Amino acid sequence: MPLMKLPAFAAELSGLLAARGTERVDTAVIQPAEPFLDMAGEDLRRRIFMTESETGASLCLRPEFTIPVCLRHIETATGTPRRYSYLGEVFRQRRDGPNEFYQAGIEDLGDAATDAADSRAIGDALDILAALLPGRTITTILGDQAVFEAVVGALGLPSGWQKRLIHAFGNMAQLETWLTRLAEPQPVTGLTDEVRGLLEAGDEAALIGWIDRTMAATGYSTNASRSPEDIARRLKQKLALAETRLDPGKIAVLRRFLSLSVPLSEAPAALDGFAAGAGLDLGPALQAFRERVSALTRLGVDAAAITYRAAFGRPLDYYTGLVFEMTGPNGAVLAGGGRFDRLLTLLGAERAIPAVGFALWLDRIETARATGGEA
Amino acid sequence: MTITIALPSKGRMKDDASAIFERAGLKISGIGNDRNYRGRVDGREDIEIAFLSASEIAREIGNGGVDFGVTGEDLVREGLADADRRMEIAARLGFGHADVVVAVPEIWLDVATMADLGDVAADFRTRHGRRLAIATKYWRLTQQFFSSQHGIQLYRIVESLGATEGAPAAGSADIIVDITSTGSTLVANHLKILDDGVILKSEACLVRAKKPAHEGSGLVSEIVERVRAAL
Repeated sequence: MPLMKLPAFAAELSGLLAARGTERVDTAVIQPAEPFLDMAGEDLRRRIFMTESETGASLCLRPEFTIPVCLRHIETATGTPRRYSYLGEVFRQRRDGPNEFYQAGIEDLGDAATDAADSRAIGDALDILAALLPGRTITTILGDQAVFEAVVGALGLPSGWQKRLIHAFGNMAQLETWLTRLAEPQPVTGLTDEVRGLLEAGDEAALIGWIDRTMAATGYSTNASRSPEDIARRLKQKLALAETRLDPGKIAVLRRFLSLSVPLSEAPAALDGFAAGAGLDLGPALQAFRERVSALTRLGVDAAAITYRAAFGRPLDYYTGLVFEMTGPNGAVLAGGGRFDRLLTLLGAERAIPAVGFALWLDRIETARATGGEA
Repeated sequence: MTITIALPSKGRMKDDASAIFERAGLKISGIGNDRNYRGRVDGREDIEIAFLSASEIAREIGNGGVDFGVTGEDLVREGLADADRRMEIAARLGFGHADVVVAVPEIWLDVATMADLGDVAADFRTRHGRRLAIATKYWRLTQQFFSSQHGIQLYRIVESLGATEGAPAAGSADIIVDITSTGSTLVANHLKILDDGVILKSEACLVRAKKPAHEGSGLVSEIVERVRAAL
């Protein structure tokens, strides 16, 4: 029994979710904390409400629905494709606004036709917002990590550098740090002559043996954490990374890409122009992007009203492609979504399950409804 | 108006703090016996002294229970959310020096900087089936340093309430965030501080709780000036 009032439009919203062929699911309010901290990182800890069970297990009040819905899907071992919807309370520590509020959303699991599933998620979110907020101006921003990955790949950087940049996608400050470093490589310091000698001899087995013996002699287990092989492999990789200097022209290409911001309807042509101008082959990523725009148009979504921003992403390692966000007239984020193809396997699914979904912030939608404002 | 100053209740910190206050012309005497937790300043009815543990001092500064406190900057920054909004470091007292640092096993030859650690953390789950584990009692400082300053999200904190530096060799964590003054404990445990791994250079400080009542108070500025002049 919820202690707080459901938004007045909850029944209407339930109808809208059901009309989209979704299966309504509920999940426990008290959840194991581990999966959330594991997926979102330690930073989440100060934003959720945590407690401990009598046996010492970490528990938290449900901070969002995606992870519980996916866990439930894995536990019940139902097949895919599945379209789940939810509507319920979530709990987060917020400086402004209440700590408990309602969210609703759709998680679309297992549809291999990703362009269709992606556009359905965007279309559903837009339709639901239009029904709940008639006449209000909704602004939509869209990004695509797969396109960024293709650009980074086409620039011919070593894989270690590609990983660094992709990992920082969505975090502009971090990306800037890496771009600066790529322009001005720093030599590897702090290695003893003995280690340098082993590296220069190119005898990896000898290096691993040396690390192994040193660990044993200093009381470190070779299998509890990073192994001698891990350390030797990355040391070699690091030396290669340190020597990598990206020429200023290519850095300018990356910056030009990250500054792209155009209506989605013009984005395929803009990306074509960018790729041709930079002499890069973006291959399947650009094709998938184009197909998604076509699929959106077929759904009746006005692609000209959506902004594609090349640098828009979420720096979480389970997001893989599309990300989008819808804001209301006063700038509050009303809906956020994206593709998270890696999440289900990270949570323990036995095989890869493509997934896309979005969440609606019902308290903010309620505020936007109250402020009226026919366009 | 009466001003309450919280001082460490025992040990070197207590002696060093008392010495500075005496040089500042604010000689502190205990009330009654040694075990009493209140004190006063000779000839000053307007100043009260409370002897508290160092971490209690940080908490009392945070909730405004005292006006001033002498404690380590590490405890204030770890103990208080939004520390700079709630307190001001009125003077650095020049004792109790210690750094809060990120340290990894010496044998991690490939890890010398936070950027290296970020690479290792990003790959950790794929290689080991779990996130990189950090043993520390400094939850807040670790989160701020890793997440906000270095964009590293993928790690887990393992709470450690003692002998943190032994955690990597014992296998209960991969790396540590801990306080060190000479670094000798780290060396003894075959750990090394990352080149850019100093989170905070801490020392004992005279910390003022930011309270509206302090605005324009002659007494508050007098205390700060006296202590500064005694350094």
